[in-house]
Amino acid sequence: MLEAFENGADGVMVIGCLEGDCHYLSGNIRARARVARVAAILESIRIGGERIRMFNLSAGEGAKFAAYVNEFVGQVRELGPSPVNVVRKNAA
Amino acid sequence: MNEQNRLQAGITPAISGAVMVIGGGISGMQSALDLANAGFKVYLVESSPAIGGKMAQLDKTFPTNDCSMCIVSPKLVEVGRHLNIELLTWSEVTALSGEAGDFTATVSSRARYVDIGKCTGCGACELACPVTQISYFPQEMPEEEQKKGGREKRLIRGPGSPVPKTLHPWAFSVIAEKCSKCGNCFRACLHGAISWEKGGIASVIADKCTGCGACYTACPEKFSAVAISDAPDLDKSLGAAIVARSVALKKEIPVKGRQDCIRCGLCAMTCRKVMRIGALKMVADGIEANLDACQVCGACVSVCPVSFLEIDQVTNREARPLYNRFNEGLNLRHPVNILYPQAVPRVPVIDEASCVQLNTGACGICKSVCGPGAIDYGLKGGERQIRIGSVIFSPGFEVFDAKRRGEFGYGIYKNVVTSIEFERLLSASGPTSGTVQRPGDGRHPKKIAWIQCVGSRDSSCDRDYCSSVCCMYATKEAYIAREHDSAIEPTIFYIDMRSFGKNFDNYVERAKERNIRFVRAMVSRVFEDPLTGDLELRYVDGSGWRVTETFDMVVLSVGVQIAAKTRELAATLGVGLDRFGFAITDAFTPLATSRPGIYVGGVINGPKDIPETVIEASGAAQAASAGLALARGSEITVEALPEERRPDPDEELRIGVFVCHCGTNIASVVDVAAVAEYARSLPGVVYAGHPLYTCSQDSQESIRAIIGEHRLNRLVAAACSPSTHEPLFMSTLRQAGINKYFFDMANIRDQCSWVHPNDPEMATEKAKRLVRMAVANASQAEALAELEFDVNPGLLVIGGGVAGMTAALEAARQGFDVSLVEQQPALGGQAQNLGRTWDGQYFWEYLVKLKEEVERHERIKLFLGSAVVEHSGFVGSFTTDIMTPSGALRTISHGAIIVATGAEEARPDLHGLGTSERVLTQVDFETRLFGNEQGELNHVVMLQCAGSRATVTAAYSEPDTGTPCETPAGTVAGQGHLPYCSRVCCNQAVKNALRLKEINPAARIDILYRDMRTYGLGELQYQQARRQGVNFIRFDPLENPPEIDVADGGVRVVVSDPSIGRKVSLAPDLLVLSTGMKPRENEELASMLRVPRNSNGFFIEAHAKLRPVDLPSEGLFMAGTVHAPKDVSETIAQAQAAVARAAILLSKKNLRLSGVVSRVDPAHCAVCLTCVRACPYGVPFINAEHTAEINPALCQGCGICVAECPAKAITLGRYQDVNLKAKIRSYAQGLTEAATVEETHDG
Repeated sequence: MLEAFENGADGVMVIGCLEGDCHYLSGNIRARARVARVAAILESIRIGGERIRMFNLSAGEGAKFAAYVNEFVGQVRELGPSPVNVVRKNAA
Repeated sequence: MNEQNRLQAGITPAISGAVMVIGGGISGMQSALDLANAGFKVYLVESSPAIGGKMAQLDKTFPTNDCSMCIVSPKLVEVGRHLNIELLTWSEVTALSGEAGDFTATVSSRARYVDIGKCTGCGACELACPVTQISYFPQEMPEEEQKKGGREKRLIRGPGSPVPKTLHPWAFSVIAEKCSKCGNCFRACLHGAISWEKGGIASVIADKCTGCGACYTACPEKFSAVAISDAPDLDKSLGAAIVARSVALKKEIPVKGRQDCIRCGLCAMTCRKVMRIGALKMVADGIEANLDACQVCGACVSVCPVSFLEIDQVTNREARPLYNRFNEGLNLRHPVNILYPQAVPRVPVIDEASCVQLNTGACGICKSVCGPGAIDYGLKGGERQIRIGSVIFSPGFEVFDAKRRGEFGYGIYKNVVTSIEFERLLSASGPTSGTVQRPGDGRHPKKIAWIQCVGSRDSSCDRDYCSSVCCMYATKEAYIAREHDSAIEPTIFYIDMRSFGKNFDNYVERAKERNIRFVRAMVSRVFEDPLTGDLELRYVDGSGWRVTETFDMVVLSVGVQIAAKTRELAATLGVGLDRFGFAITDAFTPLATSRPGIYVGGVINGPKDIPETVIEASGAAQAASAGLALARGSEITVEALPEERRPDPDEELRIGVFVCHCGTNIASVVDVAAVAEYARSLPGVVYAGHPLYTCSQDSQESIRAIIGEHRLNRLVAAACSPSTHEPLFMSTLRQAGINKYFFDMANIRDQCSWVHPNDPEMATEKAKRLVRMAVANASQAEALAELEFDVNPGLLVIGGGVAGMTAALEAARQGFDVSLVEQQPALGGQAQNLGRTWDGQYFWEYLVKLKEEVERHERIKLFLGSAVVEHSGFVGSFTTDIMTPSGALRTISHGAIIVATGAEEARPDLHGLGTSERVLTQVDFETRLFGNEQGELNHVVMLQCAGSRATVTAAYSEPDTGTPCETPAGTVAGQGHLPYCSRVCCNQAVKNALRLKEINPAARIDILYRDMRTYGLGELQYQQARRQGVNFIRFDPLENPPEIDVADGGVRVVVSDPSIGRKVSLAPDLLVLSTGMKPRENEELASMLRVPRNSNGFFIEAHAKLRPVDLPSEGLFMAGTVHAPKDVSETIAQAQAAVARAAILLSKKNLRLSGVVSRVDPAHCAVCLTCVRACPYGVPFINAEHTAEINPALCQGCGICVAECPAKAITLGRYQDVNLKAKIRSYAQGLTEAATVEETHDG
């Protein structure tokens, strides 16, 4: 997840199955914790914890998926480019 | 048994190793898979064009709210791709001769008019077909009408203004050589765009032409002098060009409702030139329709880009819409139609009744747009004789015709729908894309009522039985409807809430918490307000008042029934049915029909839900194959694979990329040639092509050839969804001798072209990026070895009750060696305490026979009075220690385990049970009724749910999540009370009441109940008991619990009877408590086998719906009441099912495991135990060398340990850091310069 930010992502969505419906029993619960940890790291290095978010969806929820993507993209747009990208652009 | 078979094999023609499964619903599919995976050839016959059955139509499934399509589609794909399942769809069995072991079936297939071998399922034909109605073809028109020859005309006013000339224009011109100089075109042209003089050749004045085509339609057919140019798709056919223009215009012109005519002329051109009717003509004031000439095919309406035309305008005849049966008639379809998007085979059928080409020879658009040339109007149906050893009959059900209950107004009031229609309304792939709308006006309903038992428990329409599933599906539909739209207020009107299955009561309680209202009342009538379409329901409430309540929409919970066609088929097969159409079976052989060699699964054997159906389907597979065990493997095909080439670590990357057009699915949006061109520029790529259909048979062959020719060592497919197509490409790669993990897939259809149809440029860029990522990932791919190991063909069965004994005996009949372990010194289990079955057979007789067979069988080794004490190993290779009564340890090696430790009757400390001799449990009572000392009994009171369903209102548990439970069983609420429904008690109480009436017809029996859960055909016994005068008194444990006083003198029960509104005082001879059942002590066993139990102590299945027999660990199965409470027939069926599931493993010499498993690098392992704790399956352990080790045979490949390992010592093939990093970096390429958000997130 951090790798994506290093590589210039302005935001990262992590999408898992609905909680309780994980094919691997508890994988998505662990993923949630991991995403929270990454968010804390992003916060502490001033990239911003709100740039990463975990979403849960079932395979039959195409419309909801699109809504989530639009919502998150909108949110990231408001935040503007990631500081990593701003610095890189200024350096260039 | 085996000796017998051998003898038979010697003297009669050898038995067949093939089985025919009739019906391709979930039952038939499960049977087919279990058989084919256990070495039998399967012919799966399905009468509709695709498999999937009713389950494919459902939105979600109870009680887990799993998406039905998501869980069934992998099965569809597996059946469709299975080497040893031959799918015979659109086919029917018309005769069956011979006998068990050696049948010959005649299967007749209807003409599909589409070549299954050539069709790629792209759906272009369906998109192009303009027909939406069942036309009136000449052969069915009355003669006088034909003669009348079309005099009545109507002007459809819509002078409109011509569509802007620049919008997808067509150019018209006159071919001078062909012109007959008649001037028809000149007269037809409304814009003065034709120059013509009498006797001269006409010509088109391009500046004035609006492109309406009036000249084109007017030019006599035999001259056809007017030509069209600049029309896309005209090279295919005129029809294809019209459809293409219509689609283009629709995209361009935003339509909200009906709009004025744009004078595009497509309707008239379609009618004259495509359908060859000519009923429409462009005139100055609009469109002139020749009402009698119209064949009412609907093509003009569907090509109209602005929804101006309506079918009623162009004809006086009644339009006969072609309803989409899969969507329960809620929307329309075309004569060429793929049953549903995920259908297997995804091949359309052309409907003979409505296709214009098949009836009149006109049209033919679908054939012209079919890229692979799969459509052939000349195809014929055929008949085949197939030799098989046994037959599984799983034809499924249809829903009750709700019109027969006229008082609810179904078919008259538009906002009254059936429950299956409501399923389609909820479904994301349904006619409303999952928004709940009233069919009448499209409004979002607020108050929705469900009416239960429509066509169930109703002798007035010959549906006396309970359909078993409606209470739960109605609750589910209400639950999901509220999830879709929280403004919805659902009310369910019911008689008894029959939520008798595993975790069902919890589900209903959760529904209540989500504001779903349950009203115990039978609705007497529904009236519609004709102005608003709202519906008024009349019913009598619990306190006896007549109530009128208004709802926006009504859903009728229709029951299941056996179709008339199924009854005919059963007669053809010689299978006996009862008066409702259900197969006649025996309580102790629940899956065998009246004709030896034919077995049943699913609703044909009585109403049931999906898991019960799946259990029966597996059980039927076992029953059908037991007699054919000697012929196992005799008729199957084994895929021959070339030697896998060992990759040289230093060899250069040679990646091949295939960018799929998917007909027009991808290519109409994404510039596939440009994507392929781009792919060629990527590092490592030596070949890039763009086949029309990458997945088609010929493409697979050409891919194999290209791999050889270009010496490719990696493959990337940019096409559709990996979940359906990855296995195909991987197997092609493997067939070319390359390790199948040298592969990656970019989904540029579902994730690109389908999502961005309006932005081809950005979609192409996105496709390039997706391909770049896949190529980067493939560059990092590693060859993964698929571990292969030997399977021990032995089976361990734990528990010697009916389930365990049946499992042992059936497995032995299948030819496997069985060790049967029973804790008690004798076989028999709980069934020893029971008297008679529902169909009047004695348990003791059955048990004697069963025990004898088990004891005598040479392949069964019995361990009585013994216990499992130590267990290790993995699927196919387990080792178990058994402690025998002498204290000696016996070690057994085996490949699979069936757990059948059963349940026992609960004995709570309640109402003097155990202290007063006047208080018995239901089982005690049954023993007494069927024993020698029945005693004089004149009055018996039975109390249902005694100590059961105790805490569901207070505390519910979330559905099983697979985590082992921590609370020991039986301590809920601290009183030994059971929180759940035990499923069997209501039927048992009714059975025992009837038995007492048999002994003493004068006896008075009062049954105090909460909900009578006599599900399925048990309802018949319940009705009989009522007829025989048994009193049923309902109580509510919170509002009016019965007061029970047990003293030395006798028993006194006071209860208020809601049917008379008074208290009754009873002084019975006996008080019988229906206490339910609880699992036997199995905690130690569960932890030894590492299988999870739920909070009640029942074992948790691998999947509540589709894997109800499998335990979550591979190679472990369960049967009987250790799973959940169930009756003897259900137990036997599950025991047979468990054997079928185990036979899949045991019949294999060796097993091959997925290469995607975690590996620990011992050099980096710090032995911190993180992986041991993190693994949800408990696989990692610390080995003798003191490092963590993961047994690849047990690893599920989830990667949790990989992520958690602090030392990064664990890797997971295909998903290593290098893979993920390569993808991320490749994604980011080109991003680094474009650092603004706007640029990075477009598309």
